[in-house]
Amino acid sequence: MTAPSTAASTSIMVADARTLKRNAAEKRFRAYGLAAIFAGLLALVLLVGSILNNGASAFKQTFIQIDVTLPESKLDKSGVRDPEVMKKATTVTYAPLLRDGLMAKLDELGVTDIEKKEVGNMISKEAAAQLRNHVLANPNLIGQTIPFEVLANGRIDGFFKGRVDFASAELDKNVSPAQLNAALALEDAGSLETRFNLGFLTAPDASDQRPEAAGLGVAILGSLYMMGVVLLLALPIGVTASIYLEEFAPTNRWTDLIEVNISNLAAVPSIVFGILGLAIFINFAGLPQSAPIVGGLVLTLMTLPTIIIATRASLKSVPPSIRDAALGVGASKMQAVFHHVLPLAAPGILTGTIIGLAQALGETAPLLLIGMVAFVREYPAGPPEGLFDPATALPVQIYNWTQRADPAFVERASGAIIILLLFLIVMNAIAVMLRRRFERRW
Amino acid sequence: MNDPHILSAFDRDLEGIQALIMKMGGLVEVAISDATKALETRDVELAEQVRKNDAAIDALEEQVNIEAARVIAIRAPAASDLRTILTVMKLAGNLERVGDYAKNLGKRTSALVQMPVIEGAPGALRRMGRQVENMLHDALDAFVQGDVELAIDVRDRDEEVDQMYNALFREFLTFMMEDPRNISACMHLHFIAKNIERMGDHATSIAEQVIYNVTGEIPDEERPKGDNTSYTFETME
Amino acid sequence: MKDIQLENRAVTDEKTKIAANNVNVYYGDTRAIKDVNIDIKSRTVTAFIGPSGCGKSTFLRCLNRMNDTIDSCRVEGRILLDNEDIYDTKVDPVQLRAKVGMVFQKPNPFPKSIYDNVAYGPRIHGLASKKADLDGIVEDSLRKAALWDEVKDRLQAPGTGLSGGQQQRLCIARAIATSPEVLLMDEPCSALDPIATAQVEELIDGLRTNFSVVIVTHSMQQAARVSQQTAFFHLGNLVELGDTDHVFTNPTDPRTESYITGRIG
Repeated sequence: MTAPSTAASTSIMVADARTLKRNAAEKRFRAYGLAAIFAGLLALVLLVGSILNNGASAFKQTFIQIDVTLPESKLDKSGVRDPEVMKKATTVTYAPLLRDGLMAKLDELGVTDIEKKEVGNMISKEAAAQLRNHVLANPNLIGQTIPFEVLANGRIDGFFKGRVDFASAELDKNVSPAQLNAALALEDAGSLETRFNLGFLTAPDASDQRPEAAGLGVAILGSLYMMGVVLLLALPIGVTASIYLEEFAPTNRWTDLIEVNISNLAAVPSIVFGILGLAIFINFAGLPQSAPIVGGLVLTLMTLPTIIIATRASLKSVPPSIRDAALGVGASKMQAVFHHVLPLAAPGILTGTIIGLAQALGETAPLLLIGMVAFVREYPAGPPEGLFDPATALPVQIYNWTQRADPAFVERASGAIIILLLFLIVMNAIAVMLRRRFERRW
Repeated sequence: MNDPHILSAFDRDLEGIQALIMKMGGLVEVAISDATKALETRDVELAEQVRKNDAAIDALEEQVNIEAARVIAIRAPAASDLRTILTVMKLAGNLERVGDYAKNLGKRTSALVQMPVIEGAPGALRRMGRQVENMLHDALDAFVQGDVELAIDVRDRDEEVDQMYNALFREFLTFMMEDPRNISACMHLHFIAKNIERMGDHATSIAEQVIYNVTGEIPDEERPKGDNTSYTFETME
Repeated sequence: MKDIQLENRAVTDEKTKIAANNVNVYYGDTRAIKDVNIDIKSRTVTAFIGPSGCGKSTFLRCLNRMNDTIDSCRVEGRILLDNEDIYDTKVDPVQLRAKVGMVFQKPNPFPKSIYDNVAYGPRIHGLASKKADLDGIVEDSLRKAALWDEVKDRLQAPGTGLSGGQQQRLCIARAIATSPEVLLMDEPCSALDPIATAQVEELIDGLRTNFSVVIVTHSMQQAARVSQQTAFFHLGNLVELGDTDHVFTNPTDPRTESYITGRIG
């Protein structure tokens, strides 16, 4: 029996000082937590927002519709329409044709206060090459006047995307207010429009002078090739190594050593793998520079520890009772692993692999060292030969573009980041989906 | 046995139940001694007292049975604990029967007071009663101490009680043949003798239970028996 | 009295199925089992009881070489199954385990269908060539495990969806599907409720007609209920082996007495 006085002091209706203090501490902690999450979300929103803001316009491009006259006298003096002969006419021959076509159109629209050279500069330097290729492919177009759509110069494109205005054009030697006026007139006449540009995803890179023509085609292809190499090499090697280490290897000093080394390997800076790749694959094994195969091999080395660690973790998480059950009915160790343990660990393994791949996809540093930063205009051939052709990769392309002088490349770099993020989101979504799909309770 | 249980409440249960048995044993011993004393001294009041006190013994027996059932249900006793509980239940039954016989003694004493005195018989019966009382006391001691030798000794001493009964049986026959007016008193005295002899049997049974409790074996060898009155008919001729 | 038997609880078959001679088991330098000699009779349920860490599970796992999976575990002495040494170098543990099945403490059905759970053993041992044969084995095993009536309509349902008691009976069905001669059970009821426990115990009693069953249990009452022979292990020693009736009413060794009356942990 407790005395009434103590009973009164311990009534649960009144919170004592300690309880109040505890509750206050808890409330404070919750506030800190919310603040931390809010800070994280804010950073994410700012990052994604700024990238979208800068990069969304990269998917649009300004095109000009021109009627081009293709005189036989200039393009095919022989008149035999043989592409081999016609190749003698270079882009230097084609460029004035485009300029003249545009001049004619501007005259029609009554735009006269513009120099001939300025008119020529409104058109992308890439356009002449496109026209030449078009004519070479269709030689009988010669002698006709054909409608042809060309890319507008990066500055004109920038004007319609708000990057360039009359004030900045005054100071810019690459663009003049007269050109901008002409562009506005063309837009009014419906000969100039800004619309979605598939070329950004499919075209190869372009030189410093023509940002409007630069695309990610080679980079995406190179990245896909490398991911293919990484998947084909890292998954089987990683999973086999993990299964052996986890299920079969005896526990002794050697396996401990290997284990520690794998963990350490996962923490090695990626640039070290690049040096390794350069020394072994290129200098020693003599594989070509800038090739997806080398990039793939380097990234495989980098991804292996991630995959091994993830696979071992998911193998470990399979309850030992399942192994016992299989062994108990007389399954061999391998049967137990392959019939029961591996299927249960599969979602974890796949998730680990995809996360490893995503990591590899975004990796830049080691690729710089093996020469994948090169300027590549040619698409690599189809696999497997294409693996040995020079290519570039998405993150390297982004790095590359941010180094260029023309502000139009900044926009394209942001656009490329969006593509890279999309790839990563898709890969992570696949990882989540696989996990959901195969996850089993036991 | 010697070590305490991990679950101390189990120990307390077992101790409590054994305390009940000991209390019961004490009451029964008093009942025997009082009943035989009342018989010898023709003390009707004491006899009446013995009859009344039997209710307490009966109540204790019931209590022991309830407790034993509870321990079995709750503690699931095994091995020596199980044997102890089984023994306790049987002991309670035996003691209750002894108590009943004592009560019967009291009843018959009240009737005998109105009848002629049979010289020597009440004294002999009291001696017989004392003998049984001692046996009972020793049997219960043997139970508490787990003393098998003492229990065997008790078992052997039943022969003496049987022999005392035989002697009394013949004596009563003689008395009845001498004077038919003694028949009524002798019949009562004979039943008293028989009841005391049955008490001895119960004491023996208790001793046997004690042996089972300790060793786990029920003694099955023929125990010495002195009761041969069933053959007395032939000697009568 | 001999002609009236309340229940046939006695050992029915005196033939020795498994004989262990001077078995010692070491985990590294620790001696977990000390000179154990035991005969396990066929068609008999033998219960291993003893406090935690007394080695009863370890010894059970020696009987079908499940201890092989533990690197540091070393077994000395001879364990004979039908007079053949199961630790002989010629013996493949996989074959042994088909003969000496095992049921574990926690119900551990494979995360597959009920049918596949039971069919797994026969499949990997090639016991059935035709689908119909396999169906027969599955049905027979489930019937023996007293589970057939409850699951016959949903054989393709996942085994993990069954209740705890049903899962454990499924595991027993899986173990007996390979037609073992001995069934080892490592605390098969410790994760089950009393009703499921009773069902499994009833099943074990029924299995005795076909198999030799060895059961490790922490519940002494369970050992008393299901077994004909009881072995008490203490600190790695086999202290007492005898008829269950005898061990539970009048054990010979004081350590057994103390353990079953709840005096040592």
